[in-house]
Amino acid sequence: MSKEASIKRAAGVGATQADAPGAGSTKLKRAIRQTLMALISLGSVLLLWHLSVGTLFNSALVPTPAATFSKAWGMMMTGELFMHIGVSLRRVLVGYVAGCVGGIMLGAVIGRFWLARELADPVLEVIRPISPVAIVPLAMLWFGIGEVSKYFIIIYATLIIVLLNTAAGVSRTPVTRVRAARCLGANEYDVFLKVVLPSAVPYVLTGMRVALGFSFMGIVAAELIGAREGLGFLIMNSQLLLQTEQLFVGLLSLGVVGAIIDRVFRIVLDRYTRSYIQFQREV
Amino acid sequence: MQTDVQPASAPSTPWQSLSLDHVRKVFRDSRGGDYAAVRDISISIRRGDFYCLLGPSGCGKSTLLNLIAGFEPVTEGGIAFAGETGGQPWRKPIGGAGVDRSMIFQDAGEALFPWLNVEENVVFGPRLHGASGQPLLANLDRYLRMVGLKEHAHKFPFELSGGMKQRVQIARALIMEPDILLMDEPFAALDAITKRLLQQELARIWQETGKTIVYVTHDIIEALLLGTRVAVMTAGPAATIKQEIEVRLAQPRSSTSTDFVELTKLLEATLHEEVHKARAAQAQAA
Repeated sequence: MSKEASIKRAAGVGATQADAPGAGSTKLKRAIRQTLMALISLGSVLLLWHLSVGTLFNSALVPTPAATFSKAWGMMMTGELFMHIGVSLRRVLVGYVAGCVGGIMLGAVIGRFWLARELADPVLEVIRPISPVAIVPLAMLWFGIGEVSKYFIIIYATLIIVLLNTAAGVSRTPVTRVRAARCLGANEYDVFLKVVLPSAVPYVLTGMRVALGFSFMGIVAAELIGAREGLGFLIMNSQLLLQTEQLFVGLLSLGVVGAIIDRVFRIVLDRYTRSYIQFQREV
Repeated sequence: MQTDVQPASAPSTPWQSLSLDHVRKVFRDSRGGDYAAVRDISISIRRGDFYCLLGPSGCGKSTLLNLIAGFEPVTEGGIAFAGETGGQPWRKPIGGAGVDRSMIFQDAGEALFPWLNVEENVVFGPRLHGASGQPLLANLDRYLRMVGLKEHAHKFPFELSGGMKQRVQIARALIMEPDILLMDEPFAALDAITKRLLQQELARIWQETGKTIVYVTHDIIEALLLGTRVAVMTAGPAATIKQEIEVRLAQPRSSTSTDFVELTKLLEATLHEEVHKARAAQAQAA
């Protein structure tokens, strides 16, 4: 059977499931319910926020939601907000991709060869607790306040986690699976590329998701200390200028962007690695 | 010591038996002590046999199967294919793991490739060897039909029941056309009905393909339902073959026929003796 036919078949199966009586409406109901809940929860927080300003909190320190959103709107109109978000995202993206590639490659080697593993383990044990935030001053010292120091911090945040997870996944490939491949005529090279690495994918993906969160922490820390643009800079600069509305805009943007990125990550995973994800739930 | 040395000229006629000569396997435990799993195993598995290795748990049946598969080297003795060409007997020692001996494992969840669907799992081996196109598809179709998975070709392992996963393993092994199929308690984790069904199908597949099968089990009834020969192992450690019987019953077999019941009693007596001995040894050690 051709690849195309198998894809069609897969699509066919998907369609039948969606067409099953009740399946569609249940899904819709759940989506409606979830949206409603999100609106209620976010709405009540906004309401509490609004009521607390001027009563519980000094309005010079906590702007009202209305003031915050109007500030955000203004910054969107001038493009300033998008510029800061874009700069931060670009830094995260470049560093994250580089860190993932490096982490997967190093992790694969470390997981595969016991000598490399035993030599690397003590070093990794010591490096692991050093958070990306703690690395910021060192990065500034080495690379100045330019882009390189930002990439360095993100790469550091991503690489360690992805490396550790990849190594764990590679070294935990079931012996049975490797033996099965041997019986099918796989040589060392086949076993590693076609059995061991795919077996590690769920571990790698878990590492990548955690690393994404770490990257955001790292970039904000870096931009707080030394940057002329980016969300961290926006937040820090607002504090220095006593621009509380702008500070709140920065924080909210960080939350919204982070949540969207994580959601996108999950959707992409679900779409392209369905069988892996299921297998991950079993692991 | 088992060697990987091949005879200078490859034998031109097929092998007649797989012979194990005084096979001994010693493992080194974590404290540096030696632990003999099996000793002095000398058996000859004929081409076309359905050879059952029957024994109490922990007696080294799986170890023996792993040695035949070539996953582990023997400590002493040898395992070789034996045959005769023009009146000249020859022996060809088995090497490491290879496509001539295909193993079917009890834990299919670990043995299958979870990221590949049924079809992709089955063609994994042939594709490694460059098979493609119409001949591969025809082969795939043949073996999927043989194990009854034609309708499930595009499902992933997580969508399959335990019995279906074992069918995938069987198809995946058969498509390599191995000389010997090694099965390590493949149906032990299945429910009774599925188990019985798969036993019947395995008996049919064995007849259909004429494969040599070495089958490890601790279930007397299963051994007698399937095997042409049943070797009973002594309780471990340092287990060996206690008794070997021929089962001259036609397939399909019924576990209620007189002959079957007689053989069951015979094996039960032998096996119980071993279980007793193992318990006594444990009590003494404690």
